[in-house]
Amino acid sequence: MKSPVRLERRLEQPKWLNWAIPLISLLGALAVGAIVLLLTGKNPLDVYQRIFERGFLSTRALTGTLRTATPFAFTGLCAAAAFRLGVINIGGEGQLYMGAIGASYVGLIMGNSYPVGIVIIAMVFAGMIFGGMYAGFVGLLRAQFNTNEIITSLMMNYIAGIILNYLIFNSLSYWRDPRSAGFPSGKPLDKRAFWPSYDIGGVGISFGLILAAFVALAVWVLYKRSRFGFEIGVIADSPRAARYIGIRTKTTIVVVTALSGALAGIGGASQVGDFTHYLDAKGLQLNSFGYTGIVVAALARLNPLGAIVVAILLGGLTNAGYSLQGPDFPSGLVGTLQGLILFTAVAGEILMKYRVKRNTAAKKATVAS
Amino acid sequence: MTNTIAVHMSGVVKRFPGVVANDGVEFELRRGEVHALLGENGAGKSTLSNILTGLYRPDEGTIELNGAPVSFSSPRDALNAGIGMVHQHFRLVETFSVAENVVLGNPDTAFLLDTAAINERVKELAARYDMAVDPEARVWQLSVGEQQRVEILKVLYRGAQVLILDEPTAVLTPIEADALFRTLRAMTAEGRTVIFISHKLDEVMAVSDRITVLRGGRTVGTVDTSSTNKRDLASMMVGRNVEFTRVQRKTPAQANDVVLHVENLGGHDDRGRDALHGVTLTVGRGEIVGIAGVAGNGQRELAEVIAGMRHATTGSVSVEGKVLQSGKARAAIAGGVAHVPEDRLHTGLAAGHSVEDNLALKSYRSSLLSRFGLLRRQAMRDGATALVERYDVKTPSTQTAVRLLSGGNVQKVLLAREFSTGPKVLIAASPTRGLDVGAIESVRERLVEAADGGLGVLLISEDLDEIMSLADRIAVMYEGRIVAVIPADKADRETIGLLMGGSQLEATS
Amino acid sequence: MTKKWLPAIAVLALGASLVACGSDSASDDAAATEDTMATEDTMAPTDDTTAAPAADGTSWESNFTPWTADAAPVKCGPKEGEPLKAAWVYVGPINDGGWTQAHDASRLAVQEKFGDKIVTTYKENVPEGDQTAQVIDDLIADGNTLIFGTSFGFQDAFAAAAEKNPDICFEFATGYKSAPNLSQFYGSAEDTDYLTGMAAGYASKTGKLGILAAFPIPEVIRGVNAWTLGARAANPKAEVKLVWTNNWFDPALERKTAEALIAGGADVIGVKSQDSPASGDAAKAAGVPWAGYDSDQSANYPDVWLTATTYHWDVYEIPRIQSIFDGTWVAGNYYGDIEDTFVRLAPYGKLVSEEAKAAIEAKKAEFIKAPGSMFTGPLNDNTGKEVIPAGKSATYGELMSQNFLVEGVDGEIPAS
Repeated sequence: MKSPVRLERRLEQPKWLNWAIPLISLLGALAVGAIVLLLTGKNPLDVYQRIFERGFLSTRALTGTLRTATPFAFTGLCAAAAFRLGVINIGGEGQLYMGAIGASYVGLIMGNSYPVGIVIIAMVFAGMIFGGMYAGFVGLLRAQFNTNEIITSLMMNYIAGIILNYLIFNSLSYWRDPRSAGFPSGKPLDKRAFWPSYDIGGVGISFGLILAAFVALAVWVLYKRSRFGFEIGVIADSPRAARYIGIRTKTTIVVVTALSGALAGIGGASQVGDFTHYLDAKGLQLNSFGYTGIVVAALARLNPLGAIVVAILLGGLTNAGYSLQGPDFPSGLVGTLQGLILFTAVAGEILMKYRVKRNTAAKKATVAS
Repeated sequence: MTNTIAVHMSGVVKRFPGVVANDGVEFELRRGEVHALLGENGAGKSTLSNILTGLYRPDEGTIELNGAPVSFSSPRDALNAGIGMVHQHFRLVETFSVAENVVLGNPDTAFLLDTAAINERVKELAARYDMAVDPEARVWQLSVGEQQRVEILKVLYRGAQVLILDEPTAVLTPIEADALFRTLRAMTAEGRTVIFISHKLDEVMAVSDRITVLRGGRTVGTVDTSSTNKRDLASMMVGRNVEFTRVQRKTPAQANDVVLHVENLGGHDDRGRDALHGVTLTVGRGEIVGIAGVAGNGQRELAEVIAGMRHATTGSVSVEGKVLQSGKARAAIAGGVAHVPEDRLHTGLAAGHSVEDNLALKSYRSSLLSRFGLLRRQAMRDGATALVERYDVKTPSTQTAVRLLSGGNVQKVLLAREFSTGPKVLIAASPTRGLDVGAIESVRERLVEAADGGLGVLLISEDLDEIMSLADRIAVMYEGRIVAVIPADKADRETIGLLMGGSQLEATS
Repeated sequence: MTKKWLPAIAVLALGASLVACGSDSASDDAAATEDTMATEDTMAPTDDTTAAPAADGTSWESNFTPWTADAAPVKCGPKEGEPLKAAWVYVGPINDGGWTQAHDASRLAVQEKFGDKIVTTYKENVPEGDQTAQVIDDLIADGNTLIFGTSFGFQDAFAAAAEKNPDICFEFATGYKSAPNLSQFYGSAEDTDYLTGMAAGYASKTGKLGILAAFPIPEVIRGVNAWTLGARAANPKAEVKLVWTNNWFDPALERKTAEALIAGGADVIGVKSQDSPASGDAAKAAGVPWAGYDSDQSANYPDVWLTATTYHWDVYEIPRIQSIFDGTWVAGNYYGDIEDTFVRLAPYGKLVSEEAKAAIEAKKAEFIKAPGSMFTGPLNDNTGKEVIPAGKSATYGELMSQNFLVEGVDGEIPAS
């Protein structure tokens, strides 16, 4: 009847666990992955070497990884910001689309008549406003009518996808390039609306990623050091205590959800400004940035600074995954390997909160207090 | 002689991580008696009854039922052997009828219910034990007392010979409690046996044949009710003599210097029904006004309206003559209202937050603790350290989460914070409930000390002894109304008990 | 801060993101994976029953035009003694039962043809957008000197990569951008679409047909029009209900759309530019004749199969790779057709009557002589307006920008 081990809740979480557990998780994942690889006739060492080489170990690989990580960072921040309040906003996907729509509009309108800096700032704000308002609606529904934000935010992802399709494929909207004869496509931005990228020691870093790092720092300060963040923490911990000290819970929910959406919205703006330079209706939908953001947030344990690190790791893992793929390495196996690594990392969360104890006989139990 | 022993538990030990809940308990139950299990919170009463009903398995010790050793692995096992438990928190399906609830979970119940026959049987059973309850009524329509009867009927229907009632009167009015005692008598008259768990001396004396007192997980002793008295029981329970005397005040209350004035106050409960009906009340400087009443008669709503957590539907609350904005907790806090809520850990505190954060919960917006919207962590830390020291909070550090503290220290954190905001009035709802004796005394001392310092205290408590020993005046609440306000030195338990049970006319006429 | 639900959320999200990718990997569509074996056989060029393969790359050249007449060949061939490394980048999974599977069949044909002289690889489920560029970079880092792109959405990334890597040969299907080292290749499907429409028209009893199509763009519109004209050639009263899916590949959506068409009264279902055979499942379940697209599904849907347009990318790819070995590769535009067998009609199903076969074969012979000749006046659109006057034929330019639906199509072009 009794299992040989049991999980016992930790009363305190020692600080060293913060780095030890992720490390142990990663090693565990690699070990489990190695078994899978051996079973499928691959040399795990070769595979892991390739993952590191193609994900992280060269300037070219790192450049790619940072590019892939950029949208992950924003959607990860989006999820973390809302989850910290206990609002499960899984609408980062749709909010990112809306941000891309807003930013591309501003970029197209202002691109050829304003200085570069102003265009970029305007695009960032447009992304924030579009993504923020789109998410704010979800927050409003939750605050006023107590609707389940998981469902509403998910539904709004689909709606945002339909809006994208409408703008590019089903209408002659402002966003659609009238010259795209063969296949409908977004109107290209003026070069002045392109976001810069910086070369640091041979590694290309997009403006978006640098922005993401600053935004993460701002979010961290907001949550850890500000009065508003303090209130968010109290609401998440105990809504009744929040009512007791007179925190405006409903307003906070709306504001935080909107903020969360605004973060995803910058991600959308970055897609347009940093990479595609037009509203790419299909490309945005094919990448599932928003859903990846949820994974990022969870792995980062909702820490905004951690989200940047995790986004980069995940970016590398994604690129390495494409690199592994080929006739002798089916994409299904790549997915399995990536899934295993993420899954083990999440399992580490359990070790964080519980300790594994051997089930000893009752008589030997020590008596405390 | 042995055949009169229904249950014999010997050397029962049960350990939980860090706690020994039962440490060699001896317990003997005679057939046909009402046997009270008396002890403070945490004395091991609930653990013992959970072992007897199969919810826990003892680490050591033996249980004999009618002379034969038994070992239960589930409550179902125990029930099949004739031991049933009536829990403090009911486990009823609200939308089902009384009869349906009674037969629910009974393995002998046929798949298709013969409703008429079941109703008849339940009715008969209820009548036999003098329990007024309509078998066809839906549970949600019933009063708490009636719901308890359904729980008892469930156990009886399953044929239990030994019934365990866990603090059954906690939720009852005195009149309902009397009805319960009659039912218990009717059951023992038929040869059934009752274990009555309580920490209230009066009712234990009133209802039981014998009493076993537990303290700190051990059996202190078993006595015949007829050969003991409350004073002796109390000293067995707490290990020393406890005097029920009024606390001596250093500074007399100034009832005429009104600090809190509640005028014609009305308010809704959580379901939007009227819970307060024109409550008018004053608390003077340095005065402790006790609110006596059975839980659920509007006390919580009264406290929350005064504290701004709930809107007033009529009337007003003023502190030192200034009317507080209704439904604004921040206005109440700024106006000088401190509030120790009933649910300390999840309303009064953010349990997952640190001691430091919780101590700042009401002052983090002040310029002392934040500037430009950012928190001044160092100031918060210094403030917390000072308060921890001053109020003698036992905590590993100011960064420890409040949920990890013991009940007494939790309450200390709460009180420390409330007093630190410089209040004019303190609303204290059940401030000692669930605390151990030492902590209770310390909390009471703090309250008296604060009143001596000029604070007006509105003390809401179900513990009549507490109110009688602390309050200057006692207001009795019944169904959302203040039915009487009595100076404490003129109050007697019987009168207040009657008022609490709604017998206002009898008491005054 | 309570985080006890964190792991659960993470797992859910992981699931969601896998599913999100999964909708591109056809894992939710059992039929698509079942198909793999059957289609790989039938996809091989030698299995074609309706037309003989072009004789060793002579005929394809008539449909290829270099961007500039005197361009110097790009030397992207391998070093002496080493194999050529070539890669294909796919948007879908290689077992999608349609578009990507056909491309991968061509890759296998290339590998088969050149043996150890070539090493081929592929990347599947590559999303459009910035990720495409990363994948191309990675392939170049692996030493690939010839890279095929097979989804329109990859075009920007390919154009950028071509500019950045002048020594690499890029071959891009279905796009339009040009560079000295970036070719475009595709083919006209309207002839076989017309013939498929004929088969559908003959199979319909009520004259009410349904077609689901990907995007309202000229290429797809032209296909729908040709299909409808074919159906009306078989049955002049035929009406074709058209539904846009706004997706190239979404098995669940394609199946649902087909079900809706059947529920709406269509007794034959056709598809244009949908990359999965999922609509065939709906047709199979309802017992309704089904004309496919893009792959021969006769083995998987024998009871409902009519025929389909199929592309044979190797008709172009094999001679092009030969030109790399020969050192003569120049970039240009290739537009194949029914004549050079780049586009073919898949084998007939048993629901195609002898009468229908005879009529289709006769028409096919006409098209081989004059591809695209169905768009000849007088031709009205579905609002009754004359779009091509009597005696005139649509020019190449008009075909490439066709933006009307012919009479008989029950549907509309949004944004027109």
